[in-house]
Amino acid sequence: MAELSFPLPDLGEGLIEATILEWLVAEGDQVERNQPLVEVETTKSAVELPSPQTGTVVRVHGGAGDVIKVGDPLIVFGVPDDTAGIVGTVPQEQAPKRRVRLNAVLDDD
Amino acid sequence: MLDATTLNPAQERGATVELSMQAALNLALAETLDEDPKALIFGEDVGRLGGVFRVTDGLQERFGATRVFDTPLAESGILGMSVGLAMAGFHPIPEVQFDGFAYPAVNQIICQIGRMNYRSRGTLPMPITLRVPSFGGIRAPEHHGESLEAMFAHVPGLKVVSPSDPQQAYHLLKYAAQRPDPVIFMEPKSRYWQKAQVNLHDGGTPEGARVARPGRHLTLIAWGAMVSRCLQVAELAEEDGIDVEVLDLRWLKPIDAEGLAASVAKTRRAVVVHEGPRTSGLGAEVAALVTEECFNTLKAPVERVTGFDVPYPSGDLEDEYLPGIDRILFGIQRVLEHRRG
Repeated sequence: MAELSFPLPDLGEGLIEATILEWLVAEGDQVERNQPLVEVETTKSAVELPSPQTGTVVRVHGGAGDVIKVGDPLIVFGVPDDTAGIVGTVPQEQAPKRRVRLNAVLDDD
Repeated sequence: MLDATTLNPAQERGATVELSMQAALNLALAETLDEDPKALIFGEDVGRLGGVFRVTDGLQERFGATRVFDTPLAESGILGMSVGLAMAGFHPIPEVQFDGFAYPAVNQIICQIGRMNYRSRGTLPMPITLRVPSFGGIRAPEHHGESLEAMFAHVPGLKVVSPSDPQQAYHLLKYAAQRPDPVIFMEPKSRYWQKAQVNLHDGGTPEGARVARPGRHLTLIAWGAMVSRCLQVAELAEEDGIDVEVLDLRWLKPIDAEGLAASVAKTRRAVVVHEGPRTSGLGAEVAALVTEECFNTLKAPVERVTGFDVPYPSGDLEDEYLPGIDRILFGIQRVLEHRRG
């Protein structure tokens, strides 16, 4: 299991921090990509942050009312070590299947 | 991340250790950074993230952000910077995140990296190892599954190599990183996760081709991810009484013509398998070399089983495009059936 940290992104143009209103997931939860993670409030608006990826929530940083600076860790995901990269899927090893049979008379010397 | 401190004493003494290709490459890079103070690793997401395929996982933490660092999303910059760093005495090990992203840097690779040693009369060698996650097999979108070996092999001044398993990956990457010449290191991305035993202390010769499976009746020639598929085909052919030799070409520039000739002189039949399109693919070069070296002993023309002359398809069509077991068996059958005269 590898850990991937997701820092608080800049939610507007040049915002420097956000206040956590409510966590919508808890440590240990399995989350899907784009699932709402947390509701935060900035000086511009209150927004729900979608999950950037699928994984298990290992840690959340801060609770309701806490201020998180842009770029500081917000949440840590656990992902399996053999998860593919940002694109593609891990190929599954399968027993080879064949339809073609070889049929040859070898006239080797 | 694996490093020497996590190996037990038996492994230190030369016993084998089970590693995925990712982990084997990671270990080779860590040891290279440890042993060569001039080695630098950089590219998109190779630092903080550890690479999209985890190949550089933990290296920035261990060696610091001045030796393992992230670059902007600009391949021409990654390779252009490699030229300058090599001129200044460093040993760059840049990564292009996916094979399809190498095209914006073709000018730097061909016109500068490939030629600088020649242009400078040997005063500015380019000891650059360019890692390129290569080939198909992971159902990725466009630009993420190309076979560039024929393009790079055509360029004077470049060396091209592709490992087929964790053992080859570990030893070939360490060897490539020590070359005074630029090496394009093509990592078969569909094989990153498969684990195998690796002998860290005995890799055999890192030069030339290697016989991955000895056989008597026909030589299957492949590289990268196609080697494991050819080994599967060889097992199936054995059920039908055909003893197939699998030759892992490894170095695609220069190609080991002697190793090729030695294998085909014995088996007298050859089928070359690659993922890239057929026309002007490296299979044509292999077929020409085999013909030049073994014309009088060949029992049939060299057969090519390859990708098709189309852009690499989307994931759903990948299995139709890539040389599959049945297509390779058909190729073998055509060669076996051939009669001279």
